[in-house]
Formats: sequence, structure tokens, C-alpha cells
Amino acid sequence: MKRTIKSLCCISLLILGTVSLSSFFIAYSHNSPFRWKFPYQQQGLTERQAAAHLLSRFTYGATPGEIDEVVKSGLENWFKQQMDADLPDDSLNRLLAPYDAIKLTNTQVVTEFPKNAQVLRMAISAGVVNKDSVKTDRKSYRDVLQNYMQQNGMKPEQELFRQFINQKILRAAYTNNQLQEVMTSFWFNHFNVSITKNDCAQFIPAYERDVIRPNALGKFNDILLATAKSPAMLYYLDNFTSSAANGNVPAAKKLIRAAQLQNMPSQMVDSGRRAALVNKLQKAKNTQGLNENYAREVMELHTLGVDGGYTQQDVTQAAKVLTGWTIYPIGQYGKLGKNIMDKIGADRLENRRFVRDSDFLFNANRHDKTEKVVLGKHFGPDEGYQEGVQLLSMLAHSPATAKFISRKIAVRFVSDNPPQSLINKMAKTFLDKDGDIKQVLITMVSAPEFWNASALREKTKSPFELAIGSVRSLHADIEQPYQLYNWINKMGEKMYYYQAPTGFPDKGQYWINTGALLNRMNFGLALATGRIPGVKIDLAALNNHHEPESAQAALAIYSKLIMPERKLDETIKRLTPLLTDPNLAQRVDEASSNKLYAKVGEPAEKSMTAPEKMMADNKLAAQGKRPNNVMAMQTPGNNKSMLGQVVGVIIGSPEYQRR
Amino acid sequence: MVSRRGFLKSGGLALLGVGLMGGIPGFLAEAAASEKIISPYKKRKTLICIFQRGAMDGLMAVTPFNDQYLKDARPTLFMSAAKAGNSSPLIDLDGRFGLHPSMKSFEPLFREKRLGIVQGIGSPNNTRSHFDAQDYMESGTPFNKGTSSGWLNRAVGLLGHDALTPFTAVSMTSAMPRSFYGDNPSVSISNLQDFAIQMRGNPMGANMAAKSFEDLYDQTSSGLLKQTGKESFEAVKMLQKTNIKNYTPANNAVYPNSALGNSLKQIAQLIKMDVGLEVAFAESNGWDTHFNQGAENGIFARNVADLSGSITALWTDLGAYQDDVTVMTMTEFGRTVHQNGTGGTDHGRASCNFILGNDINGGLVHGDMKPLAVENLEDGRDLAVTTDFRSVFSEVADRHLNINNDHVLFPDWSGNRIGVMRG
Repeated sequence: MKRTIKSLCCISLLILGTVSLSSFFIAYSHNSPFRWKFPYQQQGLTERQAAAHLLSRFTYGATPGEIDEVVKSGLENWFKQQMDADLPDDSLNRLLAPYDAIKLTNTQVVTEFPKNAQVLRMAISAGVVNKDSVKTDRKSYRDVLQNYMQQNGMKPEQELFRQFINQKILRAAYTNNQLQEVMTSFWFNHFNVSITKNDCAQFIPAYERDVIRPNALGKFNDILLATAKSPAMLYYLDNFTSSAANGNVPAAKKLIRAAQLQNMPSQMVDSGRRAALVNKLQKAKNTQGLNENYAREVMELHTLGVDGGYTQQDVTQAAKVLTGWTIYPIGQYGKLGKNIMDKIGADRLENRRFVRDSDFLFNANRHDKTEKVVLGKHFGPDEGYQEGVQLLSMLAHSPATAKFISRKIAVRFVSDNPPQSLINKMAKTFLDKDGDIKQVLITMVSAPEFWNASALREKTKSPFELAIGSVRSLHADIEQPYQLYNWINKMGEKMYYYQAPTGFPDKGQYWINTGALLNRMNFGLALATGRIPGVKIDLAALNNHHEPESAQAALAIYSKLIMPERKLDETIKRLTPLLTDPNLAQRVDEASSNKLYAKVGEPAEKSMTAPEKMMADNKLAAQGKRPNNVMAMQTPGNNKSMLGQVVGVIIGSPEYQRR
Repeated sequence: MVSRRGFLKSGGLALLGVGLMGGIPGFLAEAAASEKIISPYKKRKTLICIFQRGAMDGLMAVTPFNDQYLKDARPTLFMSAAKAGNSSPLIDLDGRFGLHPSMKSFEPLFREKRLGIVQGIGSPNNTRSHFDAQDYMESGTPFNKGTSSGWLNRAVGLLGHDALTPFTAVSMTSAMPRSFYGDNPSVSISNLQDFAIQMRGNPMGANMAAKSFEDLYDQTSSGLLKQTGKESFEAVKMLQKTNIKNYTPANNAVYPNSALGNSLKQIAQLIKMDVGLEVAFAESNGWDTHFNQGAENGIFARNVADLSGSITALWTDLGAYQDDVTVMTMTEFGRTVHQNGTGGTDHGRASCNFILGNDINGGLVHGDMKPLAVENLEDGRDLAVTTDFRSVFSEVADRHLNINNDHVLFPDWSGNRIGVMRG
């Protein structure tokens, strides 16, 4: 990689000799040389300090020795590499190989991981379960259903989410393309969807994989359009159901009349027929009419921001522009579209101005064909799918959006309250460079504000960042990622389950409260003393197997290893008196050794996904060991359990909560 | 802006200063010396909200038993208030409404006029999606998805004082509920015993680690971490006063051994510990009864037995604290008037809710429910929403917690109250 950059530089010199296009060099593109220089020296930072800051912002935490690597390759080179996001990830891919569910298309997911209610319906209609016996005998009922699923190649939905979450944890911890993963988390949170919403849950793995990650370092307009067309977003914010308000009125009216006739009190006896009609009526009602949810949130949360200058009128008009944007029928999803399409015939869809793009469908029959005006711009009449594309493009290129997105990026990467001067620079780049996210990032990192002392250590790690960062700091081996997820939940970040479309707030005050803070401390202790099942650490190896002479020495050595380039005098000073009690280490050991061995390493297998179990078993077989989470470090009778405790305190310390 | 907690200033904590390592932390001693020692928690009221997730069938919980339409619509689900054979009839509340027999523990509370019921409560947004309806109810803005805060979090901001302790707003859930989203201090915790520095099997190590953390957080330059660190250790110490694990409820109260029973038991503990709890939240699950809902017995009966049993146990346990506590239930919508083809009910519109407290206009079934003739139903099938949930929530919050800024609590709402609280 380094060599390519060098040779590219040579080529650039040649070009420089013949063509003088200075703007060419300022503009960054994948294959062109670059000439930006990070202004950290002017802000009083050494190269190593700058590298530490860079790593704290654009990775999930520095691994031991990573600062040296960044300094060696050059900070700018490292950053460019991260933006290219094409470093090989062989060892990560090996870890991910057993996770089969995360590779499935939405269609496959819907078939393999049906909803519980759907399984029940299928089982009842297949005669496997008698609907009257349902839930009278819970255990046998569950067993029957489980059998039925197994025989038909179906798996519980929870398995899909587990694999998806495990995958995310492994990726964040081990990918070489850290920036891409950080940006993936950023955009997922920006375009939040939630597993708590049943209808969109199954589409979320593919949403992150196909919609967010590939666009994470691309153009804003592309990611906006991709999210708008994704099944996850279409269901999460209900646009799948939105249609021209007056569509199909005669049929609905007929149904209402029929229902009313059937509902006369004298005819109440025929309740079955009545119920069927009423149901039909309800369905007819549900399937028509404008739904403004997406139109509102796309402006408020995805693009312009709440103060972006739009009105309720704009929201309603935008919703009309987006009528007919729905999903291409998949299993139980998008049934209504299926009926219409079957009628029309697949080959004639295009003539009828339907548009299909993978799982997305523009259903022309449901589109509002009148003329609309959003923020002063006219759409239609009757320009179909293109109206929505134009609307989103207009939003993506608005100055309000440039500011809103730039601010959000600066909040993520600089501080909870980034300087306006920085946001302005980034917003200008956003507008000048067609919403190119890489360009916006370059502007940010090239600005003095990024390196200013007021930005250093200013961010509070989210629980996910803390957990993944610790794993990276300690070179931990994750065999059961879900165990980490449980801790992340406990610390207050139930990832992928955040209910509101706002996504998690990106500010320290949100993450730090009493309960969460105690859990952070407990997490540090649990991780460093080897008590998180399936997450293995080797503290001795971290220090090249040099055993510290004393607890005090351990504190000095390991805080430097775990928090390089930080001022740690105060931390060390504070902790030292506690560690110098001559009998303390021994007392801790005595108190911990026996009970510790009795309690750790308890089987967690029943809660493992198949790939987790496979990973754990392979590993143990390779080492010729029985399951045991206690590493050599915690053998009793010396300072080693003290070491775990010291490291635990470091991970739980206030300094380590900051980045 | 986030309002930082003011409890350290109050000095009242010195009373609780049982140090982790046996001593009283210096800053507390200072506070005690410099200020009058007053208990900051006295006379604080507590509102406990219970969300019944999945949409409770309000017509089965509180049945209009004379309604022929309902009887016709529910051939196997309808219950009578008249005694017949061995079966337990509905509990006749007022000649019109009957309480499900499994909620018999509610009857005395209703007769004593401490328990009020609102029938026909719901959201003006007619979505029948659990997610959307819960989201709207918890954010308190039924037509706006983008509201970042929850109504109970806004309530905390309207208490009229800084949050006095880390326990001002507590959700007994593993994740923060939508109702609690927002900038005002609140915590979610599923088990009070977790509120400590823990090293399994190594209490000595845990003590040492706790001391280390306390020192470290005391010196950090980050104001947020320093302040929250202090509060965290104070919280730990507050809870250490009591033996949480071996708690014995007062007055022979027996909590059901259920998630809700556990949550309410812990809320009762917090209230009795005087740790400044003002807004509490708990959840009850399993109300989405599409299949074999049951009648006198079955899923629904078990659910309401758990709900009423847990609430009644809490009430009994609270004893002298009852005057300061109001309990309110809520559910995202009701269920269809008609039973479906699988012995259950589908997603509907209005449901009912229960409000318990000594300042409740109790012993009444409030609301404006009409006979269930089809012309009175919403969309020809569902119990119509005749009381906006915000009307009841705002009245309860106002009368019990003295929160009367509806523009903040429920920004889009300007309706009337219906008198669920005594004037």
C-alpha cells in the first residue's frame, strides 16, 4: 500500500510538470495524489499525540502499538488508507465465515427466519398444531413448533439478530478498515431503524450491509436515496403504506356500505361474515391514504434539521411526492403490490410506469399524480418515480442539510459542541463537492479546530465504543461476541433497538448516568479479570510476558499500554496509595482465588449461536483445553489477580471513558 | 441544557453517609457542617407508571356486561356478572361495568374510592401498530415521530427543582424506555442489587476497586464524569443502608413472583428508603392476545391477576407511604370488539386504564363509553377513543406531582380534563 502511494506521488510530479491544475491536487479522489497536511503541530501536538488523537476519533480505539504504526506510515497516509477502505480483512473474514445468516438476501431472510406469529399460522394450517390447544400446554406446544420449524428449515428470528449483532461486534473490533465501520455506525444511527419495530426488523441486517456500509464514505445523496428505497426504512417510517389520498375510493365506499348493511343490529347474528367484511374494510382503509411520517423525518432528522425552514405544508406535499414508494413483494410483505402486479403482468410494469430496483418498488398506481410544491420547488404533475428522486436530491443539496450534516459529523468526531467556524468550513465543502463525505472529513481533519486542545479527550465513549475499545486495547480474543453485547446493553446502549428515529443522542450527558457509570466500572473489572465468558485476554502477553514487580509497577506499565499518550500522573498518583499496602495483594488473592475458580467458566453454551459455539469449540480443541475463561494471569498465589484488578480499574477509570 | 443534580448541595445526604469503606466522604462532611441538615425528600410524591405492552383488551378487563352487542360479538369470550354454576362471575362495580374476576384484589381499592378506571382511553392517532402506538404514547406526541424526549422525562424537568438524587426517575427495565428518553436525569436498572461495584466471589477486591474508582472519579477534570461519579457512589451507599436482597415487604404483602411483581417490589423499596424517587416506570408484557385469550381462565386471566396482584401488593407494602404515591397503568391501544377466529382479539382502538392513589377520584369508571352498536364503533369495529390519554396523564401529573405545564408535557395537546383526580 505504501509503495503505491509513493509511486502515485512520483506520477503526480510528472503531471505537475505538464499540467498546472492546482485545484486538482486539493480535490481528493481515489487514484489521485493528495496534498493535505494535518495542522497538529501548530496546535502544539507532537506527532505521536496527533496519531493518538487521530486513532481515538477514526477507529474504535487504538490497539497496542498502533500509534507507532500510524506515525511510521505517516498520519495523512494512514487517513487516506482509511478513507479508501480497501485494506484486506482476511482474519476478520475467517471469523465471520460461520455466520451464514448475515449473508442472506431479504427474500431468503423472510423465508428462513419467519416471524413467530407466522410460524404459528403455518403450523395451524398444516395441522401440526391444533389452534384450540395452543398455549394450554406451553412446553409441548413450544416443542411441537420447534420441531415443525426444524423440519421445514426455518429458524427463530432471534438467531438472525444474534448473528447480525455478533457480526457487528467482530467487525468493529477487528476490521482493518476502521473508519468505514465507524462511519457505518454513524450513518446507521443517523438513518436509524429499530429491531423494536417488528415490521422492519428482518430487513435490518441487509440494511446495514447493502445500504449503509457501501455508502458510508460516499456521497450524501446516494446514501439518502438508498435509505429511502430500503425495505427497513420504508417500513420503519411507514412510507410503504403511503398512497394518494383519494386512490380507489369507490371500492372502499362500496366496502363501507356493505359493512354497514351487515352491521345492522338485527343482523348481528351473522358475526363471522360481518367480521370478514369489516376486516376487508379495514384493510382497504389501511392500504390507502397519505402517511407523512417519512416525509417529515426525512426533512427533520435526515436532511434539513428541525430548524431547516420547512413547514407542515411542505411535509404534506413531500409525502405526496413520495406516494407509491414501497417494497417489492417479499413473502408476507408488500402483498398489496403483488396483487396489482400480478394483474398487470411483470412485462408490462415499466409501461405502467412502475419502477423496480431490487427490493424497492415504485407503485405508480398508488402515486399522487397532482402537482406538488415543496420548499418552493414544483414537482410533477405526473412525473412518477422521478419526482421523489428529485425531491431527495434537492434536500441532499440544500445549504441547511450541509450545515446539519456537517455539524453532526463534527459532533461525532470533534466534540459535543464543535466550533461554528469548523462547521462552516465543512458545510462549504459539503456544498462545493456535491455532498462528498470524504471531502467533508478531509476538511474537518485539515482544520486547526480538529487538533485544538479543547477537542482532545472531549468525547465520551459510548458503551459500544468502550467495550470494543477495551477489547482492542487488551488484544482480547472474542469467541462469544454476544457476551459483550449483553454488557453494552447494561451500560445503556441497546444497539439496533433504539426506538426513536432520532437515533442515540451523541453526547456525553446521554451516556453517563449513575447506573450506567457503575456498569462501566463493573465491565472493566469483569473483562480484565477474565469474567466475561468467551472474551479472552492475556495480560502478560500485553507486556511481552514481563511480570511487573509490584502492583504499583503494574499500574504504571499497564496504564501506559492501555492509554498511550495520555497524561496519567494524576491517575497513578491517586491509585498508588491503595496499591502500596504491603498486605493488600495477598489479601485480594486470598479473597479471590478459590471462589473465583468456582464461579468463572460456567457454561454459556446454551446462549451461544451456532457460529459462536463452533468458534469456541475449535479454539479449545486447537489448544487441547477444556473451557475455562481464566487465563494464566489469574493463577492464584501471586500478584496476578491483582494485575487483573489493576487493569480493570484502568478500564473503568474516568480517563478511559474519554476519547 | 441538562440540569445537574442538586442533591449534593442539600446536605441531607450526610444523614446517609455510611461510607463504602466505613467513613463518611469528606465532601459530605463538609456539606453537613456548612448547611442546615434537612431531609430533602420529605413530602416528595411518587408517580409510578406501568406500561402494559401488547395492548390490553380493556373490554375484558372492565366489561360493560349489559351490552348485548358485546355479548353477540364475543361468543366464547364474554363473561357475565351473574353467578352461574362454579364459575366466578365478573365483579359488578356499578351496575354497568364488571371487573374481571382475576382482578378481585382491586375490588376493595375500588370500593374505598382509591382506584379509578377510565374506559375508552386511547390515542387520537388511529394506528394499530404496537410500535407506533407505544412510541406515540410514550413520547406524548401522537402525530410526531421525531420527538426526541419521552413524556415522563419531560415531567422530571417540570418537577420544579433539580433532581435531588440519582433516584429521582427510575425505570425498572433493562433498557431505557421511550417514556424516559431525554435530557433530564433518569436511570434504568433491572435489579437494584446491580447498583454496586461487583467482583463475583471477591468482595475484598470489589471494595478495593470501589475505593479506587471513587478516588479516580473525584479527581478527573471532566465535570460530567466527576459529578456522576460522586452521585454513583452516593447511590451505592444509599442502597447499602438496606438489605435489598432479603427485603421483607410490610403488612404481609405478597408480590407475585413475576417480572412486574419484582419491579414493583423494588420500587416500593426505593420509596421506603426515602431516596428521593419521584417518577418510576415498570413494564408488564404479554397483552397481545390474538390466540386463545381465555375468559375466566387462560392467558388474559393470568395477566390481569399478575397486574392487579402486583399493584395491590405494592399498595399494601407501602402502608404509610400510600398518601405520597399514585400508580397509573397504560397500554398502547385496545382490541377488537369482536373476537377473531382463533379465540382471541385483534388490534383495536380504545382500552381502559387504572389509577390508584389517595387523591384519585376513585370508585368510578370514568369516560364516555357508548353502547357497542356498530354505529358507535370506530371504523365499524373498535371501541372508540373517547378520552385522549394525554387528558388523563396530564391531570394525574398535575394533581399528583404538581406539574402543570401542558405545553411542555404534551406540546400538541390542548384538551380538557375529565376529573380522574379529586379537585
